[in-house]
Amino acid sequence: MAKAFMAYPELRSPFEAKEIHPEGSATVLYQGKTITLSETGNGDGLLINPRDLGQINGFDIKPEGACFRDLCIPLNDQLLVEQNGRQWFNLTGFADLLDQPYVADHAASVWSFAEIPAKRANMMLDAMAPEIELTDRNGQVVRLADLKGKKALIVTWSSW
Amino acid sequence: MPVWQRIYEEINNPDFVIICAAQDTGGEAAAGPIFDAANPTYIQVIDEDHLVSSSFNFVNVPSAAWIDEEGRIVRIDEGTYSKVHELGVGDQSISFGTNVYEPALKDWVANGAQSKHVQSATTVAGNIRQHSAEQQRADAAFCLGNLFRKHGIDDKAEQYWDMAKALNPDSVNFIRQNLTLSEEGSAGEQFRAMRDNFERTGTDYYRPIDIEN
Repeated sequence: MAKAFMAYPELRSPFEAKEIHPEGSATVLYQGKTITLSETGNGDGLLINPRDLGQINGFDIKPEGACFRDLCIPLNDQLLVEQNGRQWFNLTGFADLLDQPYVADHAASVWSFAEIPAKRANMMLDAMAPEIELTDRNGQVVRLADLKGKKALIVTWSSW
Repeated sequence: MPVWQRIYEEINNPDFVIICAAQDTGGEAAAGPIFDAANPTYIQVIDEDHLVSSSFNFVNVPSAAWIDEEGRIVRIDEGTYSKVHELGVGDQSISFGTNVYEPALKDWVANGAQSKHVQSATTVAGNIRQHSAEQQRADAAFCLGNLFRKHGIDDKAEQYWDMAKALNPDSVNFIRQNLTLSEEGSAGEQFRAMRDNFERTGTDYYRPIDIEN
C-alpha cells in the first residue's frame, strides 16, 4: 500500500477557541463576507436592522421595495416586521422569497446564506462570469468585474 | 503552482491575468508556503470558503474558467492540468492530467475570439454544472462549518461539513477537504476508495477535456 501523503497533522486544528461574536450579537455569512450584527429582532427567522441589508447582500430599501440594480422586491408586512415600535427586515423571509438557501445555527446565532439565485442567472443563461469579490494575499480586493478589458484564467488548486 | 507561473511568464501579456485560488480551509498556514515556493507574480487568493468553486459550480481541483475581455466565460470546468503527471509505482501508480490544455490556453490568449478553443455562450452555459438548491445549501453549510472551525469549535465544524457532504455528495472538494482532518490525510485509503468508486460508476470526477490541438 502506498504511503498516504499530504496529511498535514499540524494543520488539522490550527485554530484556537474564541467567541464568534459578542454576547447578544448575530453573525451572517454571505459570499465570503462575515458580518456581525449588533442587534436583531425576536423570532425564529433572522430579523435585521433594515440599514444592515446593504452591507450583507447589496440590496437597498427604496420606496419601490428592496432593490439590487434593476431587481426590486416589493415590501410587505412579512418582510418589514414591526416589533415594539421598531421596524425589522426579515432576512430569512427575503431569502425564502428569492429561493436563496441558507443554514442556521440558532444556538450560536449564525446564519449562512448561499448566493441569491437571481444574481447567478446571467451565468447559467449566457455564460457571463459571476460577479464575485476575492481578497488576494496582499489584502487587495479582486473583483472579476474590474478585469474587463483583459482575458483572465481563474484556476483552483489546493494544498491537500 | 510553479507551473502557472511558468505559463504566465511565457505568455507575458499585460492583457492576460491569472487568478490562482487555493480552495483551502487551512488558510495561509496550509496554502501560503506552497504559493511562496512558486514565487508567483499572478494574483494569489486563499479561498477558505471555496467561494470560487461555489460560484462556478466546480466540484474538484484543479478546475478553471477562461473569461474574455467582456466578462464572458469561453471555457469552463475541465481538469486544469498543464501536463500528464505520474504518481507512485506499480499497482499503486496513477496518472492524471493532460498535455493539451496549456497549448490551448496559449492559443486563446494569442488569438482571442478567433481561437478554435473558444466556446460559444450556449456551449459554455451547457457545460456549467447545474447547482441544485440542495447543493447551494451545501455551500452555506460548508461556510458555516468553516466559521466554527476558525473559532476552534471542531464538533460543530464537523457537523456542518458532514451536512455539506450529505447535501452535495458530488463535491470532491468537500470530501477531500474534510479528509485533511483525518489521520490518513486527503490522499490516503479513503480517497483512493472514493476515486476507484467514481471510476467504477462513471461518476464525473472531472468533466472530460474536449480539446483538439
